[in-house]
Amino acid sequence: MTSIGTGYDLSNSVFSPDGRNFQVEYAAKAVENGGTAIGIRCKDGVVLAVEKIITSKLLKPGANKRIATVDRHVGIVSAGLVPDGRHFVSRARDEAASWRSVYKGPIPVSALSNRLGSYVQAYTLYSSVRPFGVTAIVGGWDSEAELAVDGQVGSGPKSGSGGKVDGARAGGPGLYMIEPSGLYWGYYGAATGKGRQAAKAELEKLDLSSGNLSLVDAVKEAARIIYVAHEDSKDKDFELEMSWISSLDGPTHGRHEEVPKQLLEEAEKAAKRSLEGEDEEEEEVAKDGPNQGERMEE
Amino acid sequence: MMSFMGHQPQSQAVGYTFSQPTNAPNKEHSFYPYTDNGGSTLGITGADFAILAGDTRSVAGYNINSRYAPKVFKIGGDDDTGEGAHIILSVVGFAADGQALKERLDAVVKMYKYQHGKPMSVRACAQRLSTILYQKRFFPYYVHAILAGLDEEGKGALYSYDPVGSYEREQCRAAGSAASLIMPFLDNQVNFKNQYIPSSGDGHALEPKKPEPLPRETVEQLVRDAFTSAVERHIEVGDGLQMMVITQNGIEEIYTPLKKD
Amino acid sequence: MNHYPEVWGRPRDDIYGPYNSSYLQTTGPKTHTQSPAVTGTSVIAVKFNGGVAIAADNLASYGSLARFTDVKRLRVFGDSAVVGFSGDVSDMQYIDRLLESLDIRENYSTHGNMMNAKNLHTYLSKVLYKRRSEFNPLWNHILVAGFDEDKKPFLSSADLLGTTYSAPHLATGFGAHLAIPILRRLFPEEKPLEEISKGEAEAALRECLKVLWYRDARSLDKYSIAVITAEGVEIKEDQVIEAQSWAFAESIRGYGAQVN
Repeated sequence: MTSIGTGYDLSNSVFSPDGRNFQVEYAAKAVENGGTAIGIRCKDGVVLAVEKIITSKLLKPGANKRIATVDRHVGIVSAGLVPDGRHFVSRARDEAASWRSVYKGPIPVSALSNRLGSYVQAYTLYSSVRPFGVTAIVGGWDSEAELAVDGQVGSGPKSGSGGKVDGARAGGPGLYMIEPSGLYWGYYGAATGKGRQAAKAELEKLDLSSGNLSLVDAVKEAARIIYVAHEDSKDKDFELEMSWISSLDGPTHGRHEEVPKQLLEEAEKAAKRSLEGEDEEEEEVAKDGPNQGERMEE
Repeated sequence: MMSFMGHQPQSQAVGYTFSQPTNAPNKEHSFYPYTDNGGSTLGITGADFAILAGDTRSVAGYNINSRYAPKVFKIGGDDDTGEGAHIILSVVGFAADGQALKERLDAVVKMYKYQHGKPMSVRACAQRLSTILYQKRFFPYYVHAILAGLDEEGKGALYSYDPVGSYEREQCRAAGSAASLIMPFLDNQVNFKNQYIPSSGDGHALEPKKPEPLPRETVEQLVRDAFTSAVERHIEVGDGLQMMVITQNGIEEIYTPLKKD
Repeated sequence: MNHYPEVWGRPRDDIYGPYNSSYLQTTGPKTHTQSPAVTGTSVIAVKFNGGVAIAADNLASYGSLARFTDVKRLRVFGDSAVVGFSGDVSDMQYIDRLLESLDIRENYSTHGNMMNAKNLHTYLSKVLYKRRSEFNPLWNHILVAGFDEDKKPFLSSADLLGTTYSAPHLATGFGAHLAIPILRRLFPEEKPLEEISKGEAEAALRECLKVLWYRDARSLDKYSIAVITAEGVEIKEDQVIEAQSWAFAESIRGYGAQVN
C-alpha cells in the first residue's frame, strides 16, 4: 500500500492528491472479509441469501438472523461489520416508516435505496465519523396492483376524474446494492463479501436480464451460489440464510419473508449435490486477481 | 387609519373583514374526561383476615356494559393471575382511572420487591397509594379506592381513600354508588352503633354494646347481606359479587351470583 | 373580481356578514377535537363456539348527512384479529395507520409470537386513555375481536375515555340499545359458548343490523361482517340487508296511512 505513511489515510473526508478517499477504501476492505451475501432479481420476485459464518459452536443454530425486514415488501442483507449493518437496517426502517407517514403508502425500493445511498455517502464527508463497513443489498417488490392508501376507508370513484386507469402497469422487483462510498446501482444479480468473485461469475452465467429464471429456481441458484462461494473458506462452518419477496400472486404475496424451511432444505440439498458433482469433474471455480473486475460495470 | 395613497383602507371601502385581533372568547372544552361506571365496593377486617368485595356490574348511564367486570384486584403478584400477592385493592368510580391506578400500584409494589428484596408492607403501600392519588390532585383519578392486607402483627388492615389521596385506616368501609346504603348497615352490624346492652341502665345511662372483631363466617355473611340488599335498592349494583379474603394462607377469591335485573 | 387583490377569495361582509376572524387565529390556545365530524354508527359483535363474529355498516355520516357510503369500518390486524370502529372516521384512520406501523414492526422479526386480539385491545385502550388524559381524545368507541393467549375467543371494548369492558356480546352506539337486548335474548349469558354455532352468531348479527337499519337514522343497509375462527379471518365488505319488511311501518302513527 503506497498510501501508508502519507497521512492521507488517517482522516475521513480527506482526499489524497490523486483523488482517493482512503478511509472509504479501507471500509470496502472490511466488507471483503464478511460472509458472502447475494441477491437475485427475477421477473416474479427477488431472492436474498447470505453465508453466515459460524464463529462459535455455542451460538444457537438458526438464531442471530442476518437478513432483516425493513417494511412489508423490503428486505436487506449485508456483508461486512455486523453492527454497522444493524444500524444501516435501523435507518432503512426509519426511512420506510417516515415515507409511510408522509405518503400513506409503501416506499418504492428505488426511493429507499436512494435515501440509503445518500445516508451512507454522508458518512464519507466528515472527519468526526467513519464510513459504513458494510455493503448492503436491498431487495423488494413494488406492488403491481393499485394499493389502498394507508388508512383508506372507501374505494373511491369508479369512473371519471380520479377514477381507475385500466391496464396501467407499475411496480415489480427491485434489487440494489449500496457500497461504503454511498455508491449504489440497481442490479439483476448482486454479490458482496468474501466470496463475491465466485458468486458474480455464477450470477453472470444465469442470464438474469432475459427474465427466464423463475423465483423458485432463483432460490435454488442462490443456495448453490452461496455454496460455491464458500468453497474458498471451507475450513469455516456456515449457515445458509435466505429470504424472498414474490409478486402479489406469488408465494409471499409481495411480502418479504424467510424462505420456507422445506424449500430451503431442498435448495441446500441440491446445492450440495451439484458441488459434489463438480468435484468429480475437478472443475475449478473461476478466480480473478485481487482488486480486479470487482464491479460488473460502473 | 389612512393608507399612503390617501384613500380609505380597502376593508372599509368594499366591506371585507381582514384577519384582525379578535375579542371572540376562547373556545371552551366540551370534552369531559370522566364517566361513572357505577357499582359498589366494601371492605371489612377481622382479627386475622380482611375481606374486600365488589359487585361485577359495569354501567354507562342506564346501559349495562358488562355483567362481569371485576373491581377487586390482587396487587404485586408474580404474574397475570396475581399469584403470590399479599395486598388487595378495590376501585370504584371511573373504571379507566381505576384500571390505570391499579396497574400503577401493581408496578410500584413489584418494583419495591425487586429493589428491596422483601415484600412491601401494607402500611407502606397504603402511604404510597395516597401519594400516587395526591400527585394527580388537579386531574384526579376519579375513584374511591380501598386497600386491604394483613399488618405487621398479622391483623386485618384496611385503608380507604378519597379520589385525591386523603386516607384512613378503618375497621370497615363501603364505597361507590351504594355506599350510602351499605355504610349505615355496617356501622350498626360491625361497629355496633345504636346497639345497647339490654337493661344495662335507663335513658342515657344505657350502656352501648362494645365492638369487637368478628369471625370470618359472620363477616362473609354480612358482605352477602349488604350486597343483596343494595341490589334491591340501587340499579347500578348487581349481576355478581366478587369477594377476596386475605388471610395468613393467602388470598381466596369467591364469586357468587347476584340478581341480574 | 375587483382591483383589490387583497380581498380576492374573501367572503363579502354585505352578503355573508362580518367574517368570524377567530377561525383565522394563529395565536391563542391549542385546540383539540371537541366533537367528532364524520362518524360511523354502531359496531356489533358476538362470541360463538370457536370464534367471534363482528359487523358494522358501511356508512360515514357528516351530522345527519349520509356522507360516505362505502366506508370499511372493520379493520383486520395480523391474521386473527379484527377491530371495529364507531365514532370519528379520521381518528379511525389515524388508529388504522398506527396499527399498520405496529404490524410492520411486529414482523421485523420472525419469532412467530404475533400480537393476539387481547394484546391489541390492551394496546388500543392505552392509546385511547393516554389521549383522553391529554384532553385530546380519539373520538372512537371500538370493539376488538379475535383470540386470547389460550386461543379462546376474545371480545372486548374500549372507548374514547379509555374505559374497557368485555362481554359475550357487545355493541357500540345505538347498537347498545337495540342490538344487545336481541343478542342477550338469543344467547343468554349463562348459555355456554359451545352451544352457539358460527352460523347462529352470523345470522344474529345480520338480524341486528336489520333492526338498526329500521330504527337508527344514521345507519345504512350496506354493511361489512367478519367472522374470526382458528382458520383465520373471513371478511365480507359488500353485504346488503335482505328480506326487509316495512309492514310494521303501517302501524306507526304519522308514518304510514294513518296520519294523526
